[in-house]
Formats: sequence, C-alpha cells, structure tokens
Amino acid sequence: MPALRLWLVLLTLAGATAWGAAALALWQTTVPGDLNLPQFDPAQYLSGAEIERATDYQRFLGINALLAALAQLVALGIFAARGARFARESAAGRIGTGMLLGMLALAFVWIAQFPFALAATWWQRRYDISDLGYLDWAIGYWMQAGGKFLFISLALLLVMALAGRWPRGWWLGAAPALVVIMGMLAFTTPYLMSELKPLRDEGVAADAQRLAEAQGVSDTPVFVEDTLGLTSAPNAGAAGLGPSERVIVWDNLLERFERSETEIVLAHELAHLSRGHIAKKIAWLALLAIPIAFIAQRTTRSRGGLGDPAAVPLAVFVVTAMLLVALPLQNAFSQRLESEADWVALEQTRDPDATTSLFQGFVDRGLAAPDRSWWQELAIGTHPSIMRRIAMAEAWRERNPP
Amino acid sequence: MDSRPAPSAAPAPTGLPARVLVDDDLRRSRLTVFFRFFLALPHLVFLALWSVMAVLIAGFNWFAILFTGRAVAHDLQARYVRYFAHVVAYLNLAANPFPGFAGEPGYAVDVEVAPGDRQSRLKTAFRLVLAIPALLLASMFGPSLGSGYFTLIAAAAFLAWFAALALGRMPQGLRDLIAYANGYLAQAGAYTLLLTDRYPSSDPLAARYGAPAPEHPVTITAEGSELRRSRLTVFFRFFLALPHLVWAFLWSIAVWLAVAANWFVTLARGRPAAPLHRFTARFLRYWIHLTAYLYLVANPFPGFAGRPGSYPINVSLPEPGRQSRWMTAFRAILAIPAMIVWSALANALGLVALLGWFTGVFAGRMPVGLRNLGVFALRYQAQFGAYLLLLTDRYPYSGPSLELPREREASKPG
Repeated sequence: MPALRLWLVLLTLAGATAWGAAALALWQTTVPGDLNLPQFDPAQYLSGAEIERATDYQRFLGINALLAALAQLVALGIFAARGARFARESAAGRIGTGMLLGMLALAFVWIAQFPFALAATWWQRRYDISDLGYLDWAIGYWMQAGGKFLFISLALLLVMALAGRWPRGWWLGAAPALVVIMGMLAFTTPYLMSELKPLRDEGVAADAQRLAEAQGVSDTPVFVEDTLGLTSAPNAGAAGLGPSERVIVWDNLLERFERSETEIVLAHELAHLSRGHIAKKIAWLALLAIPIAFIAQRTTRSRGGLGDPAAVPLAVFVVTAMLLVALPLQNAFSQRLESEADWVALEQTRDPDATTSLFQGFVDRGLAAPDRSWWQELAIGTHPSIMRRIAMAEAWRERNPP
Repeated sequence: MDSRPAPSAAPAPTGLPARVLVDDDLRRSRLTVFFRFFLALPHLVFLALWSVMAVLIAGFNWFAILFTGRAVAHDLQARYVRYFAHVVAYLNLAANPFPGFAGEPGYAVDVEVAPGDRQSRLKTAFRLVLAIPALLLASMFGPSLGSGYFTLIAAAAFLAWFAALALGRMPQGLRDLIAYANGYLAQAGAYTLLLTDRYPSSDPLAARYGAPAPEHPVTITAEGSELRRSRLTVFFRFFLALPHLVWAFLWSIAVWLAVAANWFVTLARGRPAAPLHRFTARFLRYWIHLTAYLYLVANPFPGFAGRPGSYPINVSLPEPGRQSRWMTAFRAILAIPAMIVWSALANALGLVALLGWFTGVFAGRMPVGLRNLGVFALRYQAQFGAYLLLLTDRYPYSGPSLELPREREASKPG
C-alpha cells in the first residue's frame, strides 16, 4: 500500500512537472526577454479629449462586463442548485439528458446576461461605435446562442461518455477531448463565416502576399468583412487551422487607415498564423482544462459524478467559476501572444511611426483603451493596452536606430 | 403533470364554435367533378354577396353584444356559416350533391353551429385581435388562390379531382381531410362573425367523420403526451434541438444509402432486407421524435436512438414484409401526391409550432387542439416517410380520423 501511494505521489509530481513544462513552453514568445517597455504619458500621443472619451467609453464597458460575469455566476449558481429538476423535461438517456441540462445552463446564462449585452449595445450606439439597430442586435444575440449550445452538447457528450466509463479518472481524458473539439471548431469556423469578400485593393493584396511569403505562410488568403452599418471600430483577425487558415480584415479599417498602417495590421494577423497562436491557445486551454476538470470531478462526486446528468448543472457552475478565476491568467497569456504578433509586425515592416499612428487611430476611431486600471487589465485585457503597444514600437525604434 | 387526454384516447372536445358532420358515401359523378368549379360559380357569386351582408351584420352585432351581451340574427348568421361550409365542401369535392342556397342543415358535409348564448363583452371588444391566431391557422387550411403554397384544402382538392375522375369515388382520406379543414374554417368564421365567443379548436378529433378510417401499418400514439410545457425549453427549443439536427443529418446520410440498397433488394426479392429495414425504421422513428420535439408537439428532450416506446409520441412501424415490385420500382414517383399533402401539413405544423411557442412561453401549456393537429401531421409524416423509405408499400392515409378510437367512430350513425 505505501508503495502504491509512493507511486501515486511520484506520478502526480511527474504530471505536475510535465504540466508546468508545457505551460512554460507555451508561455515563451519571440519577444526579446530583455525588452523593457518605456513608460509614456498618453498625453504625449493623444489629445486630452481623445483620452477622456476613450477612457469613459471603456470604463462603462469594463464595469458592464464584470457585472455580466457576476450575473452569469449567479445564474449558474441558481441553476446548480435547482437545475437538476429539468431532467424531467427529457426522454433521452443519461448523456442526452446531460446535454439538455448543459444547454439549459447556457439558456440561463443567456437570459441573465441579456440586460448587460443590451446595455453594451446601447453604450456603443451612444458613442457611435455601433450602428446596429436594436432588433438586428437582438436577432444576432439570439443566434449566437446556437453555436454555444452545440459546443456544450458536444463537450458533454464526450465528457459524460468518459465519466460513464471511468467515473474517477475521466478528467484526464477531458483535455484531449477539449483539444479535439476546439480543433474542430477552429478548423470549421472560417468556413461558416458568411459574407466575406475577397480583397480587391491590389496594393494591399500585394502587401499581404509579400508579408505572408516572408513569414512562411504564403498561401494564406485574405478576406474582407463588410461592417458598414454595423460598427465604426476597426478590426481584423486570424482564423482557422491548417488548410482553413485565413486573415479577415474589416472594410472600415481598409477605408479609414493609411496603407502603411494596414500593412502593420496584416503583418500582425499573419504572425498569429505563422507563430501557431491558434494552436497554442487551444493547447493552453487544454492545459487549463486538466486542473479544472479534476476540480469538477471532485465537486460532482456528491451528485453521483459527471456520469450522472444530475451533476451537470453543478459541473457547469464549477467549470465557469474556475474559468473566471483563471481569467487573469488567460488574459496574460493572450497578451503575450498579441505582443509577439506586434513584435513580428515591427520586425517585418520596420515602421514604428506607422505602428504608433495605427494605435493612435484605434483610440481616435475605435475608442480603444489608451491605458487600463488593474481591474480592467485582469478582467478584459485580452490585448495589451494602446500605450503598451506604442511603447513596444518605441522600444523597437530604440533597438533599431535608422 | 397534465392529465389531458391524448389523441388516441380522447373524447371529442365539446364547447366548439362549430362542428363538422360528414354523411357522404364517397361516390362522385365524374361529369360534375370535371366541371365542378364552373358548376359552383353561381354559389360563389351568391356567397360573395351573402358574405358582405354577414360582415355588416357582424359589425352591428359587435355593438349589440357590447351593450346587451347578445347578438341578433344568430340564425341567419349560422345559416351563412353553414352555407359557406357547404360551398367549400362542394367546390373542393368533399361532397357530391349540388348544395342548396339557403344553408339548410342536412348537407353531406354539414356543420353544427353553437347556439346564440350570451357572450363576454371583453372577448367581443377585442374579437378581431383574439381571432388572429385562428385566422392564421384558417389561412393554412382554406382554399388558396395564388397564395404560393398548398393549403390543406387546396392540396387535397387538387389530388381529389384526379382521383375522383379516374375512380368515380372520392378517396376517404382526402374527403375527411377537406371536411376537417372545412370544419375549422366554419369555427373560425363563427368566432370572427360573433356567433359565439367559444374559441376555435384545431383538434382533428373534434369532427364527426362518416366512417372509420381503414387500418394502416404505420400508426402513432400519444399516450404519454402531456400538455404542460417547460417555458425555458420552449423558449430555446430550436437551439436545444441543434445537436439532434446535426445528428439527424449525419444519420440521414447513412439512411439514404441504406434505402438505395434496399430498393435493389426489394426489387429483386419482393421484400426488403431485414437489417436495412430495421435501421431505416429506427431513423424514421427518431425523426418523428425529433420533429415532435422541435415543433412543440411533445415536451421532453428525445433520445438519440429512436427506440420504440422511448418517447411520448410513439410510432409503430411494420416489420419487413412482402411489397409490390411495381410499387417499389416507381416509389419516388408514386410518392409525389403524398408529398403534396405533406407539404400542406408541414405548413400547418410550422404554424402549430409558432402558435405553440407563444402559448408555451406565456402559459406553459400547449392547447390540446394544436397538439392533436401536430400529432396528426406527424402521423402523416411517419406514413409518408415509411412509404418513401420502403418500409411499407401501403399509401399514406391523409384523413385525420385515423387517431379516433375505432370503437367510438364505428358506433356512430351514418
């Protein structure tokens, strides 16, 4: 018996070490470790009115997001306590009932967060960031639920199948299952995006091709998303895995920014693909999933374990709470990837002036936060603040004198 | 748990605005069928004139009921509703004799109109608003002229015209379907024209059909079906069904391959391969469960395997048996008339879901009439599916009377 315990301790230690090593490996980026970002006063780059307007705008959204998260937690707490009774609404078996309860948990969250989402839309319209009508917004908000419902039902299908077979050890299989689901989602999402148009501006297309070749992702297509009548905030993104990888640029960015600034954006988004950031994010989530699934396994034992659908409401609550607790860590990881993409863009374009001007434009035209308070950084800081991004451009300039 | 009776056991609901009665021997004169529309023209002209008068009287009655609680000229308005039903039945081949112009009772497809009792002033004040759901449903049932889709009556009459010309008889299922829809139109008319404040019911079991429906190997029962609905699951019903829709799509790919293989097997052997038959039957049962859930005909989340007896809406499907090779060879073509009926019933089922969504979310219940209409549509879908997927060579029965308890229907006069 003591020998078994010793083996268990050793295995746990080995697992924890492997976990730590994997997390450390994912944490590494190509941003120089000795890069010290200088501190700047936002007033050096932005007018007082711009700073005040963007800060006011972001403060409300930050508070709203925190309240929405709190409402989510309360809704799931109530559902954890009373949600199992909805099992009577199912004629499906064990897993089917679990899927229903998982989807109903999201339904509770949808209802609880509705006022906050509405408030955010109202605020965005007030600051002319969103041009979306309330009816269109409501339809869009309603439709968003569909993807989430599908995701949780698929996740519960896998997890409950594992938990039925291995009631105590299913949590070890949760991470690979999550990787499979997230990988499938990441792969298929670009194909589900409708109304994307090909990039017609020949100059920008040539820039994109040159940048992609230089980063070793030469076949990456670039699409344009029509945002006219929806929002004035500029944006772009990288999506997909393997053959489905692509860059999507919003048309308001192409229309309202200089070509040199657009080039920075393209280089940044291509860097997400060339540095494998999407796969890294999935891997990071899978790492987080291991302790979270372990905690879920321990906490749901009182309800018969996750093999029993009655435990699903509690499991959803626990997992959501854990994800909220881990949010600062998640945001820190996301910021590292964004910083790396910024750095790659700077190295490739060698244009800190355009970089600085781009980020000034994000504040002026998109009301991005020039700086954030600590709680905003923890709660909604998926990207570095604008001043930190400008500081990186200045740090790059210092290292690379003309 | 609601204990309202399920279709297979329910007595006909009482308290309806009007009730259809069928006393028809199904024989049709080919000559009058061929020229039916033209023969009905005098009636259509007279009906149009009488309709104007009926609307004017209804307008007057609106004030009369608000002041006195009672309508005037009830008998005249009841005659109008009856006459309307007679003309619809004649025009659409549900009845054979040329009807009279006075709306006298005793026609082959007739309606009983509720007596002229006192009416609620509140319900009268808002009658037109309250009538909207009933009128919406009536628009799915009534004769369609250029509406772009088949209503129940239009689909049935279109098919019946060919059948009656060829056979000299009206198919019983189509006759009963038209009679049922006609009965609902009469109910909606009686309610909207202020003859009564009883609300129309779309329950197919409320009508009195002439003869019991023939036996069919594909049946549906709703023994365990309740009328209570979970507001939360109704509100999110479409999204909750999404995993099922994905699964059904994947399963259906395999099913179509199985059906294609079974088509060859049935042509060669005169009977389907048992494993393929069972596989397809499982899918069809599952599909009915899923449709029942998605369209709010049933409340619980269904299982993913289509097991018999696992859902309140239970489908009974035949074991593999001999099938006509000719009917197998041309199954896809032969299924076209059934598909026309199904398309009309599918429209009605869509409206059942829409109206059921509102009552489910706000009242936490499904009206029994809507539920039973949904069960009828699902039964037809099951029979159509079984025919198309080669589970049986028995043609779908389009009459709504199949769900009536046989002993009760058989005991009726006429």
